[in-house]
Amino acid sequence: MKTLNYVVAMKQVPDLQQLRIRDKKPVLTDIPLELGKIDKNALECAVNLKEQHDGEVILVSVGNDDLPETLKDGLACGADRAKFIADNRVDNLQSAQKAELLAKLIEGLDDVSLIFFAEGSADNYSGQVGSRVAEILGYPQVGYASEVKIQGETAIITRALENSYEDIEVALPAVVIVVQDLNKPRLPSVIQILKAGKKPQERIDLADSSYEAAELTVCYENLAPDTDRKMQELSCSSDLIEVLKDLGVLER
Amino acid sequence: MDYNLTTEEELIKKVAKEFSESVIAPLQEEIHANNEVPGEVLEGMAELGLFGINAPEDLGGGGASFVSFVSAIEEIAVVSAGVGMIMSVNNMGHTLINFLGNDEQRKKYIPKLVAGEELASFAFTEPSTGSDPKQLQVTAVEDGDFFVLNGTKRFITNSNLKGPMIIVAKEESSSPMSGKATAFVIDKHCEGYSLSEPWDKVGVHGGPLFDVYLKDVRIPKENMLGDSGNGMYVLKMTMVFAKVGVCGICLGVARAAYEEAVAYAKEKTHRGEAIIKKFEHVRMALTEMEMIYNRAKWVTYHYAWALDGNIGDPFVLAKLAAQAKVEASEAAVDIVRKAMGVLGSYGCVSDYKLSRLWGDAIVGPQVEGCAATLKVMAGNISYLA
Ligand SMILES: Cc1cc2nc3c(=O)[nH]c(=O)nc-3n(C[C@H](O)[C@H](O)[C@H](O)COP(=O)(O)OP(=O)(O)OC[C@H]3O[C@@H](n4cnc5c(N)ncnc54)[C@H](O)[C@@H]3O)c2cc1C
Repeated sequence: MKTLNYVVAMKQVPDLQQLRIRDKKPVLTDIPLELGKIDKNALECAVNLKEQHDGEVILVSVGNDDLPETLKDGLACGADRAKFIADNRVDNLQSAQKAELLAKLIEGLDDVSLIFFAEGSADNYSGQVGSRVAEILGYPQVGYASEVKIQGETAIITRALENSYEDIEVALPAVVIVVQDLNKPRLPSVIQILKAGKKPQERIDLADSSYEAAELTVCYENLAPDTDRKMQELSCSSDLIEVLKDLGVLER
Repeated sequence: MDYNLTTEEELIKKVAKEFSESVIAPLQEEIHANNEVPGEVLEGMAELGLFGINAPEDLGGGGASFVSFVSAIEEIAVVSAGVGMIMSVNNMGHTLINFLGNDEQRKKYIPKLVAGEELASFAFTEPSTGSDPKQLQVTAVEDGDFFVLNGTKRFITNSNLKGPMIIVAKEESSSPMSGKATAFVIDKHCEGYSLSEPWDKVGVHGGPLFDVYLKDVRIPKENMLGDSGNGMYVLKMTMVFAKVGVCGICLGVARAAYEEAVAYAKEKTHRGEAIIKKFEHVRMALTEMEMIYNRAKWVTYHYAWALDGNIGDPFVLAKLAAQAKVEASEAAVDIVRKAMGVLGSYGCVSDYKLSRLWGDAIVGPQVEGCAATLKVMAGNISYLA
């Protein structure tokens, strides 16, 4: 049986811990970029499968000029190589357009078994990219994956649903969209970090991907709704019970 | 001048931070109470390569920069100065063996130290002195192909842990006060090696500290580190290379105190309003802490950058080391003191980590050369040459 490869789509996102908020808007100037947190779970899952079944773990990504640097983290965490488009113009693209570019990157790869996506990214959380790529490539997709096993020519994927789990058997190649709970990504060692820069990185030109940017959607504002909190000071628990009764939250 | 960390340096710092927060932080109270670091912490650090960040690649180290090392140890010390101390002294050990040792010694000791299988000690201080090689009383007597060591070393970090110890002793053939102090490497726990009870120190809990008793410890002559009579030189090189760890620890303690003060000021209210919003003097105190931290940080990082091959003159390096050590250790004390002003009585009770940081901070200026000695040395380099 031929060895299969695992593809992980990883996205450059701002380091949220360093984000400053001014006038209710995030200030992105000088905020370092890193790989998405749930993307790291997806990568960990792929690396675990590679350790069990051999094959290669390949990162695919579409990001700005700094992307080769950002991807070193993924390469340190166990990916074997990366294929990407790094161009500052892609910062303005929407999820649909990024999905098209990612699909093009994946199409050129051989012997792909599973293609991993996170359920959402830290900045947009549109949660669309994985499903869109699956549609473009015509592969089956499984979302909310909390456990992934390979069995011969198929994968058995456990989906974490609201009150239950569901096991799905899917033919390969397939797209898997993972949730954060599926594992705890390991930390890379100092030596893995220092070797990451030496792993192969294949850069694809935005022009070569024969993609024409089109403005499909326009984002005017992206804010959390204002909430009007009551901020009522209470002196004891019986006061709280009274208030909750008045609000009709507790029955009399 | 570019003060940005490289991607690799950022990632190493991040790994140290994540390890610190996820593995050390939940054990910190236990470390403080028992004055001991659980094995799982040291094993985890070893697995991640945190003991050999800047050691040579061909000996199993990361081959990364001193800047990387200092930024990583700072992250460890934000959570535990004691764990930082173990890391710092081990780093001092393999860095000195790399610099002063011959090839055989490098190959024998460094790979195990960078892998964390063994952890190094450096023993200079004695009951009579902590900074003057001429006053050393531990003796090394030549006996055929061996030296026989006798005496007491005081306040020796990591001396209970398996591994090599660099020890500066007086060669007995030399006359009293002749200054013929020489460095050797001995294996800890060899025959004739014993320890006092652990010192019960005010801070840096978990950093193991004992007196070491040497009774007729026989070591082969090839265990001499560098040349006979090089004790003063070894001390100078310790000065050059080894202060970077303790500087990083002090920065970590300083930052932990600053962060605790900010968090408290956001949480504590006065008549319904957070004190950070309500009181200008609170914001001013926090700004002062930030200024002191930044000053110490850049002096320290500049020193680490200098060590990364950017400055070659060992005298200039020694001066930078001395200045960074004084700045960083005093910054930690000043910042903890100011943080106390923000927390008030809460800073004095063990429920708040600031009370522990006070103990950690006050150790900094006393170890690895007190401020007076370091300033005198830096002054001599600048003005008496
Ligand atoms: C937590 C901890 C860990 C330690 N770990 C180690 C270790 O691993 N290995 C080790 O060898 N030691 C270690 N020490 C010891 C420490 O490094 C020494 O105590 C320190 O260097 C100062 O030495 P001393 O206390 O003997 O003071 P001394 O050097 O004797 O100085 C005492 C005082 O005299 C004055 N003085 C002395 N000499 C001069 C001078 N030349 N110029 C101006 N003033 C001077 C200063 O005011 C100074 O404070 C540790 C100590 C602690 C608390």
